[in-house]
Amino acid sequence: MDDQALRESLHRAGYIADEGLATTLWLASELQRPLLLEGDAGVGKTALALALAKSHGRRLVRLQCHEGLDLAQAAYEWNYGRQLLAIRLHETTTERVAESDLFSREYLLERPLLTAISSEQPCVLLIDEIDRADEAFEAFLLEVLADYQITVPELGTLTARHVPMVLLTSNGTRELSDALRRRCLYHWLDYPTLAREIAIVRSTLPLAESALVEQAVAFVQRLRREDLGKTPGVAETLDWVRALHRMKMAALPDDPHALMATLGCLLKTREDRFQVGPERVRQLIEGRRSTGVAEKAGAA
Amino acid sequence: MRVAAASPLESIAGFAALLRDHGLKVGIAEQQAFVQAALLMPVERAAKLDAAWRAIACQDARDWRRWPELFERYWHPQRLKGGIRVSGQTRPQRDLRQVVQTLQESLGDSAPRREPSSRALDTALDVPGYELAESDTPRAQGGASRTEALHDKSLSEWLPQDLAQLDLLAERIARRLRERLTRRWRDHARGARLDVRRTLRASLKTGGLPLAPVWRRPRRERPRVFILVDVSRSMETHAQLFLRIARAFVLAVNARVFVFHTRLAEITTLLQRDSATVQEKVNAVTAGFGGGTRIATSLADFHGVHARAQLNRSARVWVLSDGFDADEPERLAEELAAVRRRGAQVTWFHPSERRPASTAMQAALPLISRFVRLNSLRDLASAADVLH
Repeated sequence: MDDQALRESLHRAGYIADEGLATTLWLASELQRPLLLEGDAGVGKTALALALAKSHGRRLVRLQCHEGLDLAQAAYEWNYGRQLLAIRLHETTTERVAESDLFSREYLLERPLLTAISSEQPCVLLIDEIDRADEAFEAFLLEVLADYQITVPELGTLTARHVPMVLLTSNGTRELSDALRRRCLYHWLDYPTLAREIAIVRSTLPLAESALVEQAVAFVQRLRREDLGKTPGVAETLDWVRALHRMKMAALPDDPHALMATLGCLLKTREDRFQVGPERVRQLIEGRRSTGVAEKAGAA
Repeated sequence: MRVAAASPLESIAGFAALLRDHGLKVGIAEQQAFVQAALLMPVERAAKLDAAWRAIACQDARDWRRWPELFERYWHPQRLKGGIRVSGQTRPQRDLRQVVQTLQESLGDSAPRREPSSRALDTALDVPGYELAESDTPRAQGGASRTEALHDKSLSEWLPQDLAQLDLLAERIARRLRERLTRRWRDHARGARLDVRRTLRASLKTGGLPLAPVWRRPRRERPRVFILVDVSRSMETHAQLFLRIARAFVLAVNARVFVFHTRLAEITTLLQRDSATVQEKVNAVTAGFGGGTRIATSLADFHGVHARAQLNRSARVWVLSDGFDADEPERLAEELAAVRRRGAQVTWFHPSERRPASTAMQAALPLISRFVRLNSLRDLASAADVLH
């Protein structure tokens, strides 16, 4: 599948990728290298993995990273309960249970990484928010990402039957190690352009009025230029347009007060709500920039 | 024509050298990936090689932003608008499309593959100053650079791109801030100590059998950094730049930053975000403070209210001030003593050539761990060795 076909299949799966991203994804699958996606929250990093799995008809295996994530939660764990039960059951009989029986695949609980490695069908592995995991876990990932294998001391090294497509996402809360970065291809996802965001909203909410979508997206694009604590992402735009559509609006109203109640979809902190008052909303609807000091002086 | 003169592999090696000169980490493996990508890409879509190589060479957002300019500069120098004169080294011009084509011709599947020539590898391994041997290539003009040495620049002459260097320096200092034991332990007669509570918790999944005992480990913590910036009238010319430095440390070590002149206010949250209006916001916070400097009062507020729970043995208090205090002279020593009693170390950064010599400062001298002059990036760089 070349990058153009990849782009189209992503489009069918509901993800609108630009050319650069499609090329990167194509290269990642050609070179069988993991892809590290960085970008602000809400630009569609996780959505890309979902769409990729859907477009390729593959299973998505997701590992959500968090602080204190360890091997037992990420790769594998022995099913101690079952092992103990097996020992107890054998105590009643005369035959003894061999240690190698207890440490076999039967008693191994697969966690996302091992699931992806040992999957019979090719799959998409999403390692979400890798920056939240500890450095120790990052070091463990190196073996998995470089050779697509996991070593279980009791069993030996398990190598992937099919190399999974690996996507790592990061919000940049912590600097990732160079070793990890070097093993990955890199792509920075930015907020979509006006045209692309309109296309995204249209493909997700085909029933919303065209004028409403265009005006609302233009409004959000202007809002992103404001000095906000939490810049609204694509997900927020979708929420907002969905809300406006439910309120049976065909276009953005002229009266900013009608919009104030819905702004909770876009502005997620108290300071941001405070900063974007009715007057500012009116200016954003009209597409005016805030009046600078020079303009004020000029008017006077 | 230059394109004919240099082999595609040499062109790529030259490009990699340019990338390395600009701080991107492009080694042999990345160059091999470049070649691989170029071979995989059909000639008619050579324009997309830009995106493919970008994914290979870039490792973070900074590289990502820098890429388009570097790519254009090497492969399409004729497209660059504006007269940028590159002094130092220059590299030959090549057309990307032709390079991909020749590359595929010479290394295509039909033709026998040959290893990258040793020349190309030499280039990749060589120091950035390497020049491709071509008679018509403009030569580097010695090692002279027209860029001013940033290190000696006074802080007030900074340009935005200089700030990137400051961030790097702050990260270096952050790494030097040693992790310290939170508690010292006596050697235990029987070795490691069992963490009973965690062992019991872990034993739940094995049906109550403690198969995997958990041992106690000494805990290490990084020092917490508190930065107090004097924004009084006497510090007007320095305050803005000190705030920039403070911002770098907010990002690097999660430092808490306060500004003071007659009163103290925390501005950490304002500095966490990169915004053009930071200075305006800081001004707004400090607007009603009135004239004068009350260092002792501000310090009292700092250790009594704001940092009450966090001032401990691992705290570092960095005061950025010229030391002119309008409070009673003896009070500064009292308040600093209170900070020291909590175990925190105080470092005083002063913009002047000499250390502050006001009466209040004289009394406070024994309580301050060290004085550091801070008026340029070099000062901060040399201070990096003593800040730990």
